[in-house]
Amino acid sequence: MSGTHSIRIATADRTLVAVDDFDIAPNTITILLGESGIGKTLIAKALYGLLDPDDLTVMIDGMPYVHYLQRPETQALQAESFFVFQEPSTHLNPMMTLQEQLNEGSLASTEQHEEILRRLWSASVERDASSLLPVYPKPHRPSGGEKQRMLLAMAFKKMDLVLTGKRFTHPLFVFDEPSGSLDNRYRDIFLEMLFERFRKLPFTVLLITHDYSMIGTIHERFPDVLPGIAFKELASSRDGLRLRDFEPKEYLHWLSGLRPAAAAVGEPVLTVESESDVHRRTLTITRDQKTPCPLTLGRGALVYLKAPSGVGKTTLVKAVMGLVRAQRLRCSLNGLVLTERTPLRVWRRHIWGKKMTLVFQHADEALNLESNVRSVFAGLPSVEGASPAAVGDILRGLFDAEDISALLTKKVKHLSGGQKQRLNLLRGLSLNTDVLILDEPLNGLDFESAGRVIAKLQQQQQAGKAILLVSHNEEIFDRLVPTEQVYYLHARESANLSSQKDLED
Amino acid sequence: MLSWNGRRGGLRIERKHMHRERAGGGLQSLLQYKDALWLAIWLAGLAALGVWDVLFLNRPALTRLAAASVNTALVASGVVVCSSLMGWVSALALHFFDHGRHRWAYLLTTFLLSLIRSVPQIVGILLGYVVLTLLIRGEVLRQQASQLVVMSLIISVFVFLEVTDLIRERIRHYRKLDFFDAMLCSGVREGRIINLEILWKNSRAHLLHKAIHIFGATVFLLCSVDFIISVGLSTDVSLSNFPPTLGGLLATMDSKQDILAISTVSTDPLALPDLFFEHLQGISTAFTIVFTLLCMYRISSHFVARRRLE
Amino acid sequence: MKRKLLEHLFSVVVVGAVFGFVIVGVHQQQAEEAGVHDPAVAEALGLRFLDFGDPLDRALYKESLDAFIPQQRERHEALLEAILDARRQQFTDELYKTGAEQRGITGEKLQRVLGMYVQFILVYVVVMAISVYAAETFGTLRFVRSKQGTSSSLAQMMIVLTNDTIPAPQRYLRALGLLIAACAKGAGLMILFSPAYVIAYSFKTRFDTDSVVFMIVLGIVSNGVLVHYVNKFYTFLVAESRKGYVETALVKNLNHSYSTRDPDGIYRGDIFRIRKRFPKHVFQHIYLNAHHQYLPALKEHAAFVVSGLVIIEMALNIQGHLNYEMLKYILYKQYDMVLVIVFAIYLLVKGTEVFVDVIVEREARRLENRA
Repeated sequence: MSGTHSIRIATADRTLVAVDDFDIAPNTITILLGESGIGKTLIAKALYGLLDPDDLTVMIDGMPYVHYLQRPETQALQAESFFVFQEPSTHLNPMMTLQEQLNEGSLASTEQHEEILRRLWSASVERDASSLLPVYPKPHRPSGGEKQRMLLAMAFKKMDLVLTGKRFTHPLFVFDEPSGSLDNRYRDIFLEMLFERFRKLPFTVLLITHDYSMIGTIHERFPDVLPGIAFKELASSRDGLRLRDFEPKEYLHWLSGLRPAAAAVGEPVLTVESESDVHRRTLTITRDQKTPCPLTLGRGALVYLKAPSGVGKTTLVKAVMGLVRAQRLRCSLNGLVLTERTPLRVWRRHIWGKKMTLVFQHADEALNLESNVRSVFAGLPSVEGASPAAVGDILRGLFDAEDISALLTKKVKHLSGGQKQRLNLLRGLSLNTDVLILDEPLNGLDFESAGRVIAKLQQQQQAGKAILLVSHNEEIFDRLVPTEQVYYLHARESANLSSQKDLED
Repeated sequence: MLSWNGRRGGLRIERKHMHRERAGGGLQSLLQYKDALWLAIWLAGLAALGVWDVLFLNRPALTRLAAASVNTALVASGVVVCSSLMGWVSALALHFFDHGRHRWAYLLTTFLLSLIRSVPQIVGILLGYVVLTLLIRGEVLRQQASQLVVMSLIISVFVFLEVTDLIRERIRHYRKLDFFDAMLCSGVREGRIINLEILWKNSRAHLLHKAIHIFGATVFLLCSVDFIISVGLSTDVSLSNFPPTLGGLLATMDSKQDILAISTVSTDPLALPDLFFEHLQGISTAFTIVFTLLCMYRISSHFVARRRLE
Repeated sequence: MKRKLLEHLFSVVVVGAVFGFVIVGVHQQQAEEAGVHDPAVAEALGLRFLDFGDPLDRALYKESLDAFIPQQRERHEALLEAILDARRQQFTDELYKTGAEQRGITGEKLQRVLGMYVQFILVYVVVMAISVYAAETFGTLRFVRSKQGTSSSLAQMMIVLTNDTIPAPQRYLRALGLLIAACAKGAGLMILFSPAYVIAYSFKTRFDTDSVVFMIVLGIVSNGVLVHYVNKFYTFLVAESRKGYVETALVKNLNHSYSTRDPDGIYRGDIFRIRKRFPKHVFQHIYLNAHHQYLPALKEHAAFVVSGLVIIEMALNIQGHLNYEMLKYILYKQYDMVLVIVFAIYLLVKGTEVFVDVIVEREARRLENRA
């Protein structure tokens, strides 16, 4: 499977991926970067032989896919490899326990996975993996991170089986966004376990990610494996996709150049009281990780609310936006007091799109994929009629001017993940609101696009807009937000509260 | 569908794809649009039957059959329109009552809809026909067109909940995604989000599929009720005053005799040609009903597969 | 679960109250319409020891009136005339003809209807059990065949006809064979889509179409029930086969051949088992999920089956069956009894819903780790 490949993937009406120089070096860890939705996963699945020839027209090295699938090399690869898919929630069978799923197929030949599980759960203070094994995977239990770790455990199990057997030919281990649902501490454990095995016996790994912060971590914590790692970036060009060598220093240099905007912070626009109760949990805001204090967002300020995944950052901002019913909430927006008893119509009439807006983290879900780009801006209070000229002006904020006329009529579903995210941000930025709340605004962006987004945000900041950021990408935002504007969020179970679900029921 | 790996798996793929290649481009494109193909088959089949009947069916029977077919199609189309409107209104009402916190209005509407749901469709329509008879006897409905409209309305009352459920399910689906909240936060009106963004842009195929299904279901229900009334109720609730439909025509003595003749073919195959010449009224009527039901099902299921509405 | 059961109970009580209210209303209205409006006439007709058909009894009645209330002879004659008119009307009105002499809800009628209801439930249970098994089995079979890449007979015929490597006579013979197979399948499909009455009348001279067995067979194969639910289960299988967990199962190297001859493939006997299992095969993952999805669909399946059985009993005029009885009550405008039967059918559908909810809840408790 290693070597250079030309890959074409198309549906009946359009080409999804066309790349001529896709290269996976043997016995190397290839870290494949690039904005989300550009086609990284599709290429990896095509090479692994996971695409359906009934659905897609696939050609690999000029070979029809059905012939590629029948090659002994492809079949050997499938027998001794593993693929960790990027959405852990949908990649575990909800009708079988985790134990059953960890011990079936080629993984059934050994049940020695205790050590793998112990390592993957070593940062957990709440529970160990053994208590999860008899559990059926459901949307909220185990958590996304636990499901991700369970899939990683399967990969490590297969890795140990194959590599200790010594009778392998071309094993390939694909990790597609393995850190997507993991905190940095778990991500580092995963990298540590992978590199340990790689140091003993190099093998071929394809690690797909758009998490550029992984680069810094590897340079800092695992410099000895750098010679065995190839950084590549998949980028779109006029002739299709292009795979280029990625120079990590490029990113590290860019990162070191990030500075907070020189904007004066004006009078407070939004204040959120230090404690709120949502979904049977008490969410507490602090400045020093100890003492509760209200979050104050002044005009022209960029405030950063930090917390590990799953604490409830998104839940809190949704409650502030009136989208989730809180059991206890008190905030003030330009003198308008909002509490848990404020009727929804107040948000509808006075707040949404007028005084405050929220940009959601998953552009794929937040945008109407069946709309064209122009109509994303139709119906907004501040973009009258969504004329091509008006929308074009907005798009120029984050897109190249020469692409705009073609972009206007393009369906959102045909955009890359990074383009969708930029569009999602532009919808929020185009509104004349005093407050802009951004949930993981750099999700799915390559670092070049991330730079444009940051510049745009700083421009808005200087124009007096109050921006509240919610993100776990500390590497970038710690450099952009002064420490006095950083808040922390903590959660604890609240004993005497009914959950939202209970209330709705 | 994933289908890689394994020697046999590979061979299977090859055979399937070789078949496609040999079948040629024209057939391949037809195979891709099987729903359109079945629509063409349905229309062609009915046209062929029409030509055959013009040639071999006696004039009065031909007139009856044509009128019954047209009336059945009109009622089925009427039901598609009425139930779509009723479903849309009720789904939106339920949505706004629920999220606007009009608890009592929501409970009352839900209760009324549950009450309709509790009556089996066929029984409900049968009782609706009693009302229709009273209206005809009272000379409130004199014209055939108005009778057809009321027939459509009666059937719609017991069918529209399928549209209501579909629309509510679509709204619920999008409410679960960030899609709905993201638009609300951007200041887009809720009515626009539901009607334009969810129903028009994202649910047209689902609604079209439902319309095809309702058309087929109405043909089945209408024919069944008309048949039941013709054979079971001979006095006040009588089809004699109703616009003729395929079910009523099938229940006439002539048609029943024609259908009975089918069983004689199993013991006397030589009697087969008689079916196409001597028993044409009943056979044509039954064929139109069954062929329409088959084609509607085929169109519907291939549409689902092509548009991946599962 | 308790909450769900309470909801059902509340729904039954409320719907029952509405039906009860309507039944009482209809009953009173019918009594008024059928009854004699003049109280004196009604009172006279209520005298069981008098037969106004008998001239002697008539004379006796009139003379008694004249004797007890003298000087009102003309009024008594008018009353007698009114009594005789009322009697005549009762005899000539078709609503009082055969089978409908008794008006209103009586114990005897309820007893008769109850027997029919029990029979209807038994037939319904058998039809449901067989059609659910058939839907899963044939849905699975169709999925396996689609995975095997089996083309339709017509498509195969087209391929054979365009295949120049086969000598001409053999090619045409094979094409003819495929055409016959396609026609046979088409005829089979036409039967499956036929309304029950079309099938029943087609075979009326060959079978006893009034028998319970024939009714069960019709309930399963006619009215499109079988096709509809086979397709539904197949659709669930297709949808599930596209889910992410199937990809994970594949990369774990579970068997994935759908050949029924391959040792690593699908064993045909497993498809036809009542409790289906496909060990060590990717299809086990797909089947488990599709089966789970099908459970809530049983409610809709049940409603479809009930409608089908109602049509069969009514359209075939099966004497002594619940829905034919209801049809007769509609004919004789005994709407109170009609409503009683409709409510009984509602209870059957509701009972199925409760049963399905109990199963679904039990499954949910297990799968959501609440058990």
